Amino acid sequence: MNWFKQLFSRRRLYADLSDEIQQHLEEKIEELVASGMPRKEATAAARREFGNVRLTEEDSREVWRWSGVENMIEDIRYGLRVLRKSPGFTAVAVLTLALGIGANTAIFSVVNTVLFQPLPFRNPGRLMVVWHTPPQKSFPGITKFVVSPANYLDWRDQNHVFEQMSAVGFGKFNLTGMGQPESVEGRAVSAEFFSVLGVQPVLGQGFLEEEDRPGHGNVVVLSHDFWQTHFAASKDVLGRQIKLDDKSYEVVGVAPAKFDFPFQAKLWVPLAWTEKQRAVRGNHGYIVIARLKPEIDMKKAQSEMDTISARLAQQYPVDDAGWGAVVLRLNQQMFQQVGPALLVLFGAVGFVLLIACTNVANLTLAKALGRRKEIAVRTALGASRGRILSLVLTETVLISVVGGVLALLLAHFVIEAIANFIGPQLPLAVQIGLDGWVLGFTLAISILTGLIAGLAPSWHLTRANLNESLKQGLGKTDADSSGGRARSVFVAAEVAVSLVLLIGAGLMIRTLYLLRNANSGMDARNILTVTLGISSEKYPAVAQQNGFFNQVLEQVRALPGVEFASAVDSLPLQGGSIQPVAVEGQPVVPMADQPEVPVRLISPGYLRVMRIPLKQGRDITEADNAKARPVILVSESFARRFWPNENPIGKHVKLTFLPGEASEVVGVVGDVRLNGLSVTEPVQSVYHVMAQNPQTTFMRLAVRTGIPPASLISAVTEAIHRVDADEPVVGAQTMDAVVDESIAQNRLNMILLSAFAGLALLLASIGIYGVQAYAVRQRTREVGIRVAMGAQPAEVFRLIIGQGLRLATTGIVIGLAASFGLTRLMASQLYGLSATDPWTFICVSIVLLAVALAACFIPARRATRIDPVVALRYE
Amino acid sequence: MKKPRQRDLFPGALEMMILRTIKRQPLHGYALVQHIKRTSNDLLQIEEGSLYPALQRLLKDELVKAEWSISSTNRRVRTYKLTAKGAKHLEHEVSRFEMMLEGITRVLARGES
Repeated sequence: MNWFKQLFSRRRLYADLSDEIQQHLEEKIEELVASGMPRKEATAAARREFGNVRLTEEDSREVWRWSGVENMIEDIRYGLRVLRKSPGFTAVAVLTLALGIGANTAIFSVVNTVLFQPLPFRNPGRLMVVWHTPPQKSFPGITKFVVSPANYLDWRDQNHVFEQMSAVGFGKFNLTGMGQPESVEGRAVSAEFFSVLGVQPVLGQGFLEEEDRPGHGNVVVLSHDFWQTHFAASKDVLGRQIKLDDKSYEVVGVAPAKFDFPFQAKLWVPLAWTEKQRAVRGNHGYIVIARLKPEIDMKKAQSEMDTISARLAQQYPVDDAGWGAVVLRLNQQMFQQVGPALLVLFGAVGFVLLIACTNVANLTLAKALGRRKEIAVRTALGASRGRILSLVLTETVLISVVGGVLALLLAHFVIEAIANFIGPQLPLAVQIGLDGWVLGFTLAISILTGLIAGLAPSWHLTRANLNESLKQGLGKTDADSSGGRARSVFVAAEVAVSLVLLIGAGLMIRTLYLLRNANSGMDARNILTVTLGISSEKYPAVAQQNGFFNQVLEQVRALPGVEFASAVDSLPLQGGSIQPVAVEGQPVVPMADQPEVPVRLISPGYLRVMRIPLKQGRDITEADNAKARPVILVSESFARRFWPNENPIGKHVKLTFLPGEASEVVGVVGDVRLNGLSVTEPVQSVYHVMAQNPQTTFMRLAVRTGIPPASLISAVTEAIHRVDADEPVVGAQTMDAVVDESIAQNRLNMILLSAFAGLALLLASIGIYGVQAYAVRQRTREVGIRVAMGAQPAEVFRLIIGQGLRLATTGIVIGLAASFGLTRLMASQLYGLSATDPWTFICVSIVLLAVALAACFIPARRATRIDPVVALRYE
Repeated sequence: MKKPRQRDLFPGALEMMILRTIKRQPLHGYALVQHIKRTSNDLLQIEEGSLYPALQRLLKDELVKAEWSISSTNRRVRTYKLTAKGAKHLEHEVSRFEMMLEGITRVLARGES
C-alpha cells in the first residue's frame, strides 16, 4: 500500500480498528458472563484486562501516520486556537518579538551587505589595496598612506606578484556646457583600472594603454547614473564630447549600473601623467589597487613589496627613506570605517532580542501555570513528556514566527533610514535591503527565539507533579512558588541586560555631547562655506587665479549681512594637505626625514572669520603679497614643538614642496582641530598665504555673517556668478553643518544605540510589570489575610514594591558587572570619557531603578486595594 | 494504572508470535490473544490491547491481511491471515531468534561452569 492510498483509506482503517476492538471487548464480556460473572463486573474486568482502549486505538492509528509531521500540524492547529482565545497575550507577545526580531533583521541586513557580501567585482578576494607606510618619525601613529606617482610606477613595473596594479586619484571636475555649471566627482585612473577590478563597461570600453598618456587622455567613462541623468541613457553617447574643467573629453564608455567605485564616482578619466608628473616621488596622493596572481598569497606579495620598498629607499633616499608598503585586502579596507560601530549595534540588538525572548518566556510561563490542570489531564490520559513539550514550544514558535513577519515590515523602514545615512560613507554603492539571506536570517532567529522562549516554561510544566496539579483547585495558590522563582530570575536577567544596553547608549550620548561641545579652536557659529574650484585652462596664470578668488571675496564682503569673508584650501575638521617642512634650528635632513605637518593655504582675514585666536605676533595682511617676502603663521603646538624655549617670531620654515625661499614666522595662532573633533592631540600646523602660493585652483570660501548664514546662500552664489558665470557653486553649507557632519557617524550610532536601549528598557519594564502584576494576583489571598489581620495599605504597598526592588537591584548589580566587561568593546567609539565612566554608570543605574519602581507601582497600588472579604473567597 | 506497553518481551517478539500463530490457522484478535496465553501456559502476560498496534504494523508492512467474517460462535470478527511475504518474514525472524537464543544459551552455560 503506498502512502497516497493510505492517506485516503485511513478513515476506513480506523473504523475497522475501532470496530474490531469493540468486538474484542464484547466477546470477552460474553465469555466472562458465560462463566457466571455478573455483566457489570464482567465489563469492568474485560476493560481492565484490555488496558487503555483509547491509548491502544491511538497507538494503533499511530502506525499509519507520519507521526512527526501530523503531530506538528495538530499542535499548530491547537496552538492557533489557544492564541486566538487569548488575544491580549498574543498581541503583547507578538509585538514584543516583532520589535526584537525587527531590530535584529534591520541591523543584520546592513551587516550582511556591508560586511559579508562579496564585492561586485570579479574574484574580489584577490583584490588588494597597496598603501605606503610612512616613516614613523614624520608621521607618528599613521600606518597607511597614499602613494606617489613615481613609486606607483616602480611598484607596478618591478613586482612579480600582482597581475595588474592601478592608481586612482581623487578630484572634482567643473562640468560646463550642459545647462547649469556643476561640480562632479571624478576619478583619474590608470589604464588598468577597469580590468583590475574585472568590471566591464555596459557601453563602449575602459581605457586603452595609449589613452593613459599625456595629450591622449581626453576620454571619459561615465557612470551609469551620470549617463541616465545627463544623456537620458541614449545609446549613441559614445563619441560625444563633454567639457570638464574647460577641456573637451570624448565619451568612450558607460560603466555598469551601481558601479561608483571609489566613493560615488560619477565619471572616470585616464591619469595621463606627463613626464614631470610621473617623476613625482615625494608627493603622495593616489590609492593603489592590485590583483594578486593566482598562485601568490598575501604573505608572498607583502615580502615582495618589502623588497621593492627597501630597494627604492636605497635608490631614492631623499624621497623614499623610511617609506614602506603594506598589502591589505580590498574587501577589508572598504568598510572598516563603519565595521566596528555596526558590530556594536549588532550586539545591542542581540540583547534586545534576548530581553524580548525573556518577556515572552515569562508571559508563556504565567499562562502555562494557569494551564497546569489541562496539562496534567493530558499527561494522565497518556500524553508523553515530548508531546507536552512540543505543544508549548509550538505555541511560542507560532508567536515568534508571526512576530517575525511583522518584524520584516518594521525592519523595512529602519533599513531604509540606515541605508540613506550610511550609503555616502561607503566606498561603493551597496544595495541594502531585504534579500534571501536576510529573510532566511529572520526566519531562523524567529524559530530559534520561539524555541528559547518556550523552553523554560515547557520544561517547567513537564516536571510538574501530576497529582499535585490535579488536586490543586485552579492552580492559583502559593504552590506556584517555583514558577515564581523562574520568573524572578527572568526579570533580574532582563534588568541586567537592559542596564548593559543603557550604559552603552549613555556612553554614546555623553560622547556626542562632549564632541559637540569640544573646543575645536575656532567658532563655527554663523559661518557659511562654499567650494570654489577653477580650471587652470581658463585661469592659467597665478595672477589670474588669485584675481578670481580676490574678486569673489570682494563681491561677497560687500553683501549685506556679511561681516567678513576669507578663503582656505581645506576647512577645519575635514583633514587636508600634509607636507614635509624644514624648520629653522632643526638639523638639515633629506625630505623623507623631515617632519610632516598639516599645511593650510589661507587668504587674509581667515583668523577673523574662524575666530582663531592670535597668540603672538601679527596676522597676515593684504601687504603679504607675491612681491613681499614670504610669511607664515604657525600654531601654538608647532611653535612649542620646534622652539620650546625660544621666541618663534622671526624664525623660518621652508615648505619643501614649494619653490623659493623659506617663509618667516610672523604670528603664532591657536591650535585648531583640523582632522576632526575626536582627534584630541593638538594639531601642529602652519598657514601660508594664498597670494604667495605658486598655483591655486581650489579654495573653500568662508563667510562670517551677522544673520543666519544659510539665508545668504543665494546672494553669495550671485556674487560668485558676477565674477564668473560658469563657476559651479557647490558645497554651500554652514560651518555648523560641517561640525555636525564630522560627528555624523557618532550621532547615528548614538541614535540607534539609544533607540535599542530605549526599546530594551520598555520591554524590561513591561516584564517587571507583568511579573509583579502576576505576583499580586497570586498573593491575593495572602494579602487578604494580612489586611484582615490588620496590615495597613502602606505596609502592603511596601511588601510588593520591596519584592520588585529586590529583583531590580539584583539585576542592576549583575548588569553593572557585565557592563564593566562589555563596554570595553566599544572604547574605540568613545571620546573624552572612559568605557567605565562612573558618572554614566551611576546615572543609568538610577534611571533604571526608577523605571523598575514605576513598573511595580500599579501592581502595588492594586494590592493595597484588595478587599479581604473578596480575597478570601478568591479561588 | 497498568503500564501502557508490554515491557517483558523484546522488540519484535509479539509480532513473531502473532505470525507463527496465524501461520497455523487464521484467527481474529481475541482468539489470537487467548491462543498465545494458552500455549505459553500463561507464562507470557500479554496486555490484550497491546496486540492491536502490533497487528496494525503487520498490516501496514503487508505481512498479514485481514478480512471481516462470521465466526463459529456467530460473531462478526476480523480474521488475520499470513501473506506470502509474512511467511518469508516469519522464517527469517525465527531463524534469527534461534541464533540469538543459542548465543544467549551458550553464554549463560559458560557462566555457570
